[in-house]
Amino acid sequence: MEPETPVAPDVQEVQEIQEAQEGTAALQLSSPSEQGYQVKLEIFEGPLDLLLYLIRKKKIDIHDIPIAVITRDYLEYLERKDQINLDREAEFLFIAALLIYIKSQMLLPREQEVSEDEDPRRILVDQLLEYQKVKIACSMLREKEEDQLLRWKRTFLPPVAKPDELDLLEVSLFDLAETFFLIMKRKERENFRVIKGKDVSVEEKIKEIVDYLEKNGQMDFLEYFSSQETIEEALVSFFCLLELVKNHVVIALQEQLFQTIRVWLRKDRPHHLPHGHSHE
Amino acid sequence: MNEQLKAILEVLIFMSQDPLTMDKIKEVLGEVPEEEINAALEALKQDYAAADRGIQIIQSAGGYLFTTKPEHDQWVRRFLQVEKKTKLSSAALETLSIIAYHQPITQAEIAAIRGVDSTYSVKTLLQKKLIKIVGRKKAPGNPLVYRTTEKFLQYFGLNSLDELPKEEEIRKILEEEKQTVS
Repeated sequence: MEPETPVAPDVQEVQEIQEAQEGTAALQLSSPSEQGYQVKLEIFEGPLDLLLYLIRKKKIDIHDIPIAVITRDYLEYLERKDQINLDREAEFLFIAALLIYIKSQMLLPREQEVSEDEDPRRILVDQLLEYQKVKIACSMLREKEEDQLLRWKRTFLPPVAKPDELDLLEVSLFDLAETFFLIMKRKERENFRVIKGKDVSVEEKIKEIVDYLEKNGQMDFLEYFSSQETIEEALVSFFCLLELVKNHVVIALQEQLFQTIRVWLRKDRPHHLPHGHSHE
Repeated sequence: MNEQLKAILEVLIFMSQDPLTMDKIKEVLGEVPEEEINAALEALKQDYAAADRGIQIIQSAGGYLFTTKPEHDQWVRRFLQVEKKTKLSSAALETLSIIAYHQPITQAEIAAIRGVDSTYSVKTLLQKKLIKIVGRKKAPGNPLVYRTTEKFLQYFGLNSLDELPKEEEIRKILEEEKQTVS
């Protein structure tokens, strides 16, 4: 009895391979618009995403993947990437290896028909089906997200209570930076005038801030920031604040995101001031 | 309809920093039966739902709160001088929906479903407080276990996790896609 090779290329398969080549050409040139599905080479969220895309493009049922065709497309995609970052994209190679393994399994002549349970494609198919569900859940959540982002809530605004009634939270450098970028954005609109030629050193600025704090006890950083004459000076003063926080010289508190940052000297601050490590 | 109750509820929602929960309402109002509160809330929601109002009452994360309507987004942004709010990256959203549906879940389990390492996305989501660590799994290496937060519900305007798109809905979409394929 002649064993059957499951993937013997028949007419249909040859046709599919040709389509495959056309398909990948399209993949390279432009995004397939019929689904409104934007595809550039690098945007796949992992190897399963790519695989699912290739399968959809071919309009193939996931349960019945023509491994030869898909493997070819998949490898073509990998080849087209001139560099593969092993740390980041090992998963792509793993799936490529898996595809080749499955393909080799299917090419091997067998005594009997493989039962459905033993189909080497099974694991991959299960994984793809699960992943496909995630993709759909994602697009549904995305719709909700888009809708919600347009609805503003009162919680977005800072509370109206007086500062001394509030529980102050120590802010992380991350929060500081976020506030900083927000202020910068506002500043941009205010038609900042730049006076060139004045150099501000981090050391001087640090000293200025510390002197101010020693004299006044605390500082409204937003006010201080806005009073800076040039954008460079304002920038430097922000870096100084970061430096001072990092070196435990001052404590910075913000009651709510986008509100001002209040700065105090720490009682247990080190005696020497940090030096600005200027990279310029 | 108890007009006074309606007005009081409006006040409470207005003053509340977080979505106003039924528990909180009962705590404040004391004796009033829940059906009466619900009826008043419903009437209040109806009042606000009128086309000429800019504010709405929605239910989110198990409570009531005021929001603006989507069509007024640009006016709010002009007023506050802020940019359009940024959406989650697709990697982060993918990771988040896996966590939402499979919680409690470990990072390795997330990676297994996505087929790609998800450390960075998990970190981003933690930072945005959309997920939280709830403990460690009793498994080799005692990996951390993640869950979605209350803020996750608020972010997507969901009342509870039950309001996530259901398996059946997802399956229905899959079926429809399949039909367009064949």
